[in-house]
Amino acid sequence: MMPDDASQLISDEQIIAYLDGELDVETERKIDHLLATNQDVRKRTNSLQHVWDALDELERPNVDESFTKATMTLITARANHSVDDHRASLRRRTGRWILAIGSVLTAGIVGFVCVKGLQSNPNRQLIRDLPVLENLDEYRSVQSIEFLRMLDRTQLFGSEETDED
Amino acid sequence: MSNSPESDYVIRDPDALLMLEVRNGDDAAFEELMRLYQSRLVIVLTHLSGNPDCAEDLAQDVFLRVYRARDSYVPKAKFSTWLFAIANNVAMNSLRLASRRREVKLKALESGQFGVTPFDDLLIASSGQIPTRRLDKIEMRRIVRVALDALNERQRTAIVLNKFESMSYDDIAQVMGLSRQAIKSLLSRARIALRDVLEPYMRSGKHPNSGKGS
Repeated sequence: MMPDDASQLISDEQIIAYLDGELDVETERKIDHLLATNQDVRKRTNSLQHVWDALDELERPNVDESFTKATMTLITARANHSVDDHRASLRRRTGRWILAIGSVLTAGIVGFVCVKGLQSNPNRQLIRDLPVLENLDEYRSVQSIEFLRMLDRTQLFGSEETDED
Repeated sequence: MSNSPESDYVIRDPDALLMLEVRNGDDAAFEELMRLYQSRLVIVLTHLSGNPDCAEDLAQDVFLRVYRARDSYVPKAKFSTWLFAIANNVAMNSLRLASRRREVKLKALESGQFGVTPFDDLLIASSGQIPTRRLDKIEMRRIVRVALDALNERQRTAIVLNKFESMSYDDIAQVMGLSRQAIKSLLSRARIALRDVLEPYMRSGKHPNSGKGS
């Protein structure tokens, strides 16, 4: 027997939603009416309901108090373990921070000292040039550095000082 | 003045209130929640994973996750919806892990947790001609089990939540992160697939493809 037009208008999806009580009132009424008047819709609905009921055959394992106790013990142990892990991780992180800050400070101090050491000190140059500056007028009057070196080689002034001693 | 969504859920859902007590450090409240949900959770996980022993381990994992998340718990949905969403994630991760380890599902079924045999073995066992009323309960359970396992993961999850938790389409949609219409289609396809497999058995004890010479 071929299904009639009215039955074709109702999809299996609608029949399933009807069985689950998930249809709007209007569609529900429409299917109620079809169930009362249309054998094909009734057959399809019964078939889907029958298959749905067959799932009641599946096992429904039950767990007892021992599961509760075992789970609670496991959870407490793991939660404590995770707290210990967290503390250890915190210690590790703190240690790493201290190490990092120490490294940065050391690098800073070493860098400062190096830069200070390499930097030219203008006073040092002045101190080195002080004997020249003190006799600058005499050096100017001589005018020639070669002449001074020649006098130095003759040790003319040096021997005089030695004789006085 | 209207209540916040959080207080709405707490007023309507006593389990959400219990979970808030857990958040405040009350371990006895957590134990009470476990007693309320442990069997329901194990049933759902049994049918999602296909293995009751594995289901108990998965249920413990779910409770552990709930306990660890207690400090950040905010009731934005029914407690059961939140719990089964976690259970769904745990079950799907477990199935993916099992799949990566090449633990073929049929192997687990053959190992006898439910005493289930593959579909063709069932066909031989039932001789192909036994009428519905003569299929005993154990055999019927095996056939239903195989039919359920033949569904894809999403269809099976929707069916299990609908059947064993009597969840509405809206709640299933929340658990699975899908729209209500998607759940409606998913359940429809799943139940039609179940009908195609189970109906021939229930009517005449015949495998649905046995008449096609396959």
